[in-house]
Amino acid sequence: MPETTAAPPNSPTTVKLKYVKLVYQYLVNHILTLALIPLLLSLLRVGPTEILSLYNSLHLNPVQILCSAFLAVLISTVYFMSKPRSIYLVDYSCYKPPVTCRVPFSTFMEHSRLILNQNPKSVDFQMRILERSGLGEETCLPPAIHYIPPTPTMEAARGEAELVIFSSIDSLMHKTGIKPKDIDILIVNCSLFSPTPSLSAMVVNKYKLRSNIKSYNLSGMGCSAGLISIDLARDLLQVHPNSNALVVSTEIITPNYYQGSERAMLLPNCLFRMGGAAVLLSNKRRDAARAKYRLVHVVRTHKGADDKAYTCVYEQEDPQGKVGINLSKDLMVIAGEALKSNITTIGPLVLPASEQLLFLLTLIGRKIFNPKWKAYIPDFKLAFEHFCIHAGGRAVIDELQRNLQLSAEHVEASRMTLHRFGNTSSSSLWYELGYIEAKGRMKKGDRVWQIAFGSGFKCNSAVWKCNRTIKTPADGPWTDCIHRYPVHIPEIVKL
Amino acid sequence: MAEEGKRSRVKVESILSVVSSNPTRPGKVHKLSLLDQSMGPHTIHIVFYYGSNPFSDGPMSSDLENFRVSLSDVLDEYPVVTGRLTRGPDGGGWQVKCNDAGVRVLQARVDATVDEWLRSADVDEERDLTVWEDMPLDPSFWSPFRIQVNNFKCGGLAIGLSCTHMHADITSATLLIKSWADYHSTQTLTYPPIFTLPTHTHPQNTTTPPPHSPTTNTTPPPTKMATVTMKFSGPAVEKCLSGARSQCPDATPFDVLVALLWSKIAHWQEPHTADDNKRSISICTDSRGNRGQKTKIPLGYFGNALSFSVLTVEADELSSGKLGQVCEYVHRHVVDRAGPGLVDGDGEDPVRVYGPQITCVSTEHLVDAEKNGEAIMYSAVFDNNNNNNKNNIKGEKPLHVSYSYGNVVGEGLIVVVPTAEVGPGRAVTVTLPEEQIDMLCKDQEILDLEGVMVISGGR
Repeated sequence: MPETTAAPPNSPTTVKLKYVKLVYQYLVNHILTLALIPLLLSLLRVGPTEILSLYNSLHLNPVQILCSAFLAVLISTVYFMSKPRSIYLVDYSCYKPPVTCRVPFSTFMEHSRLILNQNPKSVDFQMRILERSGLGEETCLPPAIHYIPPTPTMEAARGEAELVIFSSIDSLMHKTGIKPKDIDILIVNCSLFSPTPSLSAMVVNKYKLRSNIKSYNLSGMGCSAGLISIDLARDLLQVHPNSNALVVSTEIITPNYYQGSERAMLLPNCLFRMGGAAVLLSNKRRDAARAKYRLVHVVRTHKGADDKAYTCVYEQEDPQGKVGINLSKDLMVIAGEALKSNITTIGPLVLPASEQLLFLLTLIGRKIFNPKWKAYIPDFKLAFEHFCIHAGGRAVIDELQRNLQLSAEHVEASRMTLHRFGNTSSSSLWYELGYIEAKGRMKKGDRVWQIAFGSGFKCNSAVWKCNRTIKTPADGPWTDCIHRYPVHIPEIVKL
Repeated sequence: MAEEGKRSRVKVESILSVVSSNPTRPGKVHKLSLLDQSMGPHTIHIVFYYGSNPFSDGPMSSDLENFRVSLSDVLDEYPVVTGRLTRGPDGGGWQVKCNDAGVRVLQARVDATVDEWLRSADVDEERDLTVWEDMPLDPSFWSPFRIQVNNFKCGGLAIGLSCTHMHADITSATLLIKSWADYHSTQTLTYPPIFTLPTHTHPQNTTTPPPHSPTTNTTPPPTKMATVTMKFSGPAVEKCLSGARSQCPDATPFDVLVALLWSKIAHWQEPHTADDNKRSISICTDSRGNRGQKTKIPLGYFGNALSFSVLTVEADELSSGKLGQVCEYVHRHVVDRAGPGLVDGDGEDPVRVYGPQITCVSTEHLVDAEKNGEAIMYSAVFDNNNNNNKNNIKGEKPLHVSYSYGNVVGEGLIVVVPTAEVGPGRAVTVTLPEEQIDMLCKDQEILDLEGVMVISGGR
């Protein structure tokens, strides 16, 4: 864990240190430009006639010139051919549940008391979790869960899936104008509900997609599956030219609402809420103008080789035989380690040269000179303008804010998404992106870092670059409530 | 509960909670008035019968979801309905913590058509349409309002509302359903609810309310009571009115029907404690509307605004057959009452609500409230105009609206409510000991009025 600087924030030493750092960063990041300046100056001093006489003295004949030109053309062709295709995010659409699905805290606790009337300790536990959860009064659960007791039939689960997925896709098609026949690749990810035929088959059936569509259904991959789907889409779009891919991320709550009374397994009930998102990716040249974002990097880190990480989010039966997801107490520690792993890989790809140099120097210093030197945490705020941290829970956001030394504004999108929509699992990153757009903060050239954690234990990141400034009012799930945000979320909400 | 050995035709299929569309502002608390609290263990049960289900057509996929949309929207206006009871700060009276918890909604199926049901069901079976759960010791997670949506075999619908009398009287409860229908049809409310009154009009009562513990099942009355509802047509009531007008020019249908029934019942009534020659009834009227009283309580006031008072009359006058005279006594009593609250009869023992004498409940203030002369409860129409109305069917008026009370102990109860037709026609629900009901139904004068029996167990 990083240690905070010893000097107080506004003292003369820290201010001086800041200036030194700024100068250093400017120097190192623009070193090439700075190196070119003396060369340019010397060229100007020499004069054009001198350069011409230098060229004539080389005595090049036409064949040599032709060969060199040919070589140059060959090299540039090979370069352009082997460059990976640019993947564009044309647009995306998040699902906004109807107000009839709203679950205020008092209703949630009431239902909990009525259903778990034999286990008052479990009810108290849920109340304590809910008070500190960071959720608001407008999060939604699917209709089947509103019953006393909940009625999680397969039909209800399919109903929820159809409602969420079809609404998201309808909205996306309306925004992008794409026709069902034009979709070449379809990827649906939903971790805990995997019927036969699959959810992707359900989408193909509803929208009458083409018979040669490349469809994939990812299940069981947890909350980070959204970025795994994006990664898969990217790889497929490298192989198939001139195509587009529809990625649908959701989590179906109905069949997975834990009906028992084990405390560690009641936690997901308090946090997981209804939500979903549909994303349209494309590698077509003509979408480059209208696309919102361009995918720059996807970095996946899997810590499953470690037993503790593998079992920290584990689906199992409780002593009464009821199935639920057990969250271990070391979840935050494991998440921190997974994040460090991911940062180590993504750092060199995105950080400016100044940060990388510092990191390298401190690393060498620690290895060779003195292991007690403070580990340098690179400043990712230099690499990104916006951060979308998976709204897995308040603890996750707090942990990452501390680790990456982010300000309250950087994590605002994550906190407000958790407040308004709850933990919508793999689609939460898209709600957060929607928040930033709705606030009018997304400008052309801005870089966004999406980080997701999931069972396994996995930490996946995606880096996007904004292609065009997004104008407000942006349509999406935040349209009717963005004026109320940001809200202050108290540490504990008294129920 | 239905009689033993007779299986109930009503089967409750599911129970859930419906919350308002928008969150309630946190920290809101509604104090129940003294009159509210003196209503204690009593409950109200209202059933609105419709010939067709207005929710089968709508933007959501099932009828259950459709009714939730308009119900959620209207609950935004009623934070008191979605709140929960708690004790006041000094451990004193009850208050409602508006914590946004929602109302319980039950869905049930009835193995009969609406017409069959109205003809053959009795009041006990009708109670299955508004299944009630008594308040537990800790009411913080108990819903005081329960709405039951009952689907009939023919596609008809009965919306049952049950609530504690502490929260609302029959006017408020009726207006809640009317507001829901208004919101469903036009998204505006005809009678927006008001939860507090200016202090000088605040319902008072002259007696201190008895301390109330949470409801337990009151001991069953010693005599077996039966209930019949007789729907008297406009012309029949008009005939009675014309007979009484000589002595009571301003007689209302309530006055004349109470007078008529009292004159029959007086034979079997217990004599007045003080004087063998006197008989008393308790009259319950509503202080809302503009029926000539000094304190103005708006129709939209949500809470109890009832006035109970005792009328005592010489036994001879009742049995003499001089209907007009009795009607005049009733009418004058109704007009003279002071305001909401419990009022002593002739300065004697303090009055209790709904007992021990026969209580006569008037709803005359709900008649003529609408511009077209329609009674308020019969204007609760669920129109699907603004939804994806595929069949473009106009909403229907209720076929019948039933009112009943829970935990009421006394010699009897007479409730006079309007019917679906505009005019002086009334539906009278009479609760009396079983033998008295049998004799009443055989009485010639009553039979002459040719009342149609509904929810009377096939009498």
